[in-house]
Amino acid sequence: MTILVGYVPSPEGEAALRAGIDEARRRGEKLLVVNTTRGDAYVDPHFAQEPDLSHVREDLAALGVDFDLRQVLGARDAAEEIIDLAEKTEASLVVIGMRRRSAVGKLIMGSAAQQILLGVGCPVLAVKAGA
Amino acid sequence: MDNLNNLMQGFADVMDPMNLLLALIGVVIGTAVGVLPGIGPAMTVALLLPITYGMEPVQAFIMFAGIFYGGMYGGSTTSILLNTPGESSSVVTAIEGNRMAKAGRAAQALATAAIGSFVAGTIGTLLLVLLMPFVVDFAVSLGAPDYFALMLLAFIAVTSVLGSSRIRGLISLLLGLTIGVVGIDQSGQQRLTLGIPQLADGIDVVVVAVGIFAVGEALWVAAHLRRRPAEVIPVGRPWMGKKDWQRSWKPWLRGTAYGFPFGALPAGGAEIPTFMSYITEKRLSKHPEEFGKGAIEGVAGPEAANNASAAGTLVPMLALGLPTNATAAVMLAAFQSYGIQPGPLLLDREASLVWVLIASLFIGNLLLLLLNLPLAPAWAKLLQIPRPYLYAGILFFATMGAYAVNAQPLDLFILLSLGLLGFAMRRFGLPVLPLIVGVILGPRAELQGRRSLQLSGGELSGLLGGPVSYTVYTAIVLVLVWPLIRRFVVRPLRARSAA
Amino acid sequence: MSSEVKDGLKDERTVEDSRPSREGGDRAQYGMCAFLALLGTAVIVDALGIERVTNGTDPVGPRAVPLLLGALLLLLAVLYAVDVARGGRGEPEAGEDVDLSQGSDWRTVLLLIAVFVANALLIERLGWVISGGLLFWGTAFALGNRHYIRNLLISATLSLTTFYAFAIGLGVNLPAGVLQGIL
Repeated sequence: MTILVGYVPSPEGEAALRAGIDEARRRGEKLLVVNTTRGDAYVDPHFAQEPDLSHVREDLAALGVDFDLRQVLGARDAAEEIIDLAEKTEASLVVIGMRRRSAVGKLIMGSAAQQILLGVGCPVLAVKAGA
Repeated sequence: MDNLNNLMQGFADVMDPMNLLLALIGVVIGTAVGVLPGIGPAMTVALLLPITYGMEPVQAFIMFAGIFYGGMYGGSTTSILLNTPGESSSVVTAIEGNRMAKAGRAAQALATAAIGSFVAGTIGTLLLVLLMPFVVDFAVSLGAPDYFALMLLAFIAVTSVLGSSRIRGLISLLLGLTIGVVGIDQSGQQRLTLGIPQLADGIDVVVVAVGIFAVGEALWVAAHLRRRPAEVIPVGRPWMGKKDWQRSWKPWLRGTAYGFPFGALPAGGAEIPTFMSYITEKRLSKHPEEFGKGAIEGVAGPEAANNASAAGTLVPMLALGLPTNATAAVMLAAFQSYGIQPGPLLLDREASLVWVLIASLFIGNLLLLLLNLPLAPAWAKLLQIPRPYLYAGILFFATMGAYAVNAQPLDLFILLSLGLLGFAMRRFGLPVLPLIVGVILGPRAELQGRRSLQLSGGELSGLLGGPVSYTVYTAIVLVLVWPLIRRFVVRPLRARSAA
Repeated sequence: MSSEVKDGLKDERTVEDSRPSREGGDRAQYGMCAFLALLGTAVIVDALGIERVTNGTDPVGPRAVPLLLGALLLLLAVLYAVDVARGGRGEPEAGEDVDLSQGSDWRTVLLLIAVFVANALLIERLGWVISGGLLFWGTAFALGNRHYIRNLLISATLSLTTFYAFAIGLGVNLPAGVLQGIL
């Protein structure tokens, strides 16, 4: 069984990663860290650059967690990508970071978190930054 | 002193609130599209040109002045933050600028670029004011054969100096000249109109520019869409310490000194002076070891040279009607679409327009500095716009502009054909600037050539007008044989001295 | 342990390694040569059809320049072909949004052209607000954006604002089409 973490280089993403690590150690399961980008903008702040990735890798290795780190570039949204991966790896838990957002903002932009909550078959752990 | 009075009058005209607003809009749009990948100042002016048809020419040019400098500034921002210069003239800025940014000195790199651009732009515009009357006096004394020779020089210069391959440059030029032939000629005969009545007036230069720059670029990018986000360096508010100022001010001035004359020459351009400025600063620097690792002089000098050269291109553009870079070419098309013919008579006939344009260059430059030092982080956010929206927007405005020129759907099909031509040119590495210059100058060169031969009764000797045309033809020969000289004289010499 | 990145995930758009660009001659350039030769011939044929009007005030006439251009086009077509045969090739234009390591994505280009032509055919009948909106929506779709509803909103906003700002505000020529009287 695997625990899937949706990683983004931001406080929310880091919080999700921490929570994922805790769960993985508690349950003794494998950790799958995923960072995705649609790759259709010149700059994507959700796209983890090499320094972010290596810091994640070092942290996980230092903690002795059995992990896998994947970066997906494609034309699809992060939510679709994560739902797909969770199904494929038969994940036992999906951990995501969440941001506070106003009702109007959610109406216009939609919410990746909401899409994941509705679309994934397994339990989802949603973490906020600073928690 | 007459000029200063005129300039003051120009300032007075711009100081109207509506006009200041237009200048501000121009600067903001110019910077925004300069920052956006894939859109240069030439494309921006081309896209906005039809929209301004409802405005007074004066107002349109106030806006274009803002776009002119704004686009350049935006380009340097991207090259510093991303190491992917939008235009060939920012290549040098990208070398040291990006290294500085990577070393955590993005704020200083952006600041020296912005302030250097301001200094160079201001000095360059001042030089333009001082030089214009002399160049105009000189230009008035020129006859048809001299103009014909100057235009030939411009043709040869854009095909030989810029591109890597002359054959490809010439092909592009010929395509442009052929497009320029379409329509009814001066003797009333239809040429290449294929019997289509809408083509009798020729293909509008705006449609050509929008088709080649905007539609061609959008199609080309669509075929090769990049899917991996770039690494971008976070920006703070640009600022410089005392030491940075000390190291920057001389390169700014030297860069200006290189850039302006090259821009003002019909065969100049911005590539050579930016490169020369870089070499000079590297040689003169007290910190030569920093070059290649992020030396501030290597940003300050080339960036100033780039902007000064842009100001310089306005001299031949306004005084002789000769464009030497893409933006000047499109601005020239803008003049023509308002029924104004740039050239020696411009300063007499449209004096107030010219001085307003020059005054708004000063004001645009100042606005740019005031606006962009605090706004740099906001500009960097523009890079997050998804490409589908960016290119959908370009095609949307391109279509709107091309349709608005004559309100006929046929223009949209012409636009698409030109876009496909632009696509093919990008695919086969044919430079686009010679084509645009060919379309704009071709008909005028024909006019001057025919006028020269008319004076001589058809004798080809009529093309040799006087000392000016002799000098220009000598220059043309030099430009043409320079690669040969380099191959057979300079290289062997160097090889010998190295041995 | 960390088998990072490089994950195919059935998505052929997952772009990773840059393939080495094709070596050797670029034969497609001959197509450009053919186009130039064709254009040159067409220009000459057209020029020969022009009435010969030369007189004292205009000893050159309207034929000379097109004839010269046509001849030069033919000459350059030959020179270009020779250059290509000797292995010459122009560097495809690089750019910030351009990834030359992959082949051309013709599907996207054809879709774009289709959307563009549709707009050109419909603009008079439907008016700019509808056809321009379709143009933006269709282009975003062709370029791979799949937020249909959001894009519909953006398209409508954009075409309405441009119509009011430019056609009504600044007097730019944009057709109202079927919405004539409603807008």
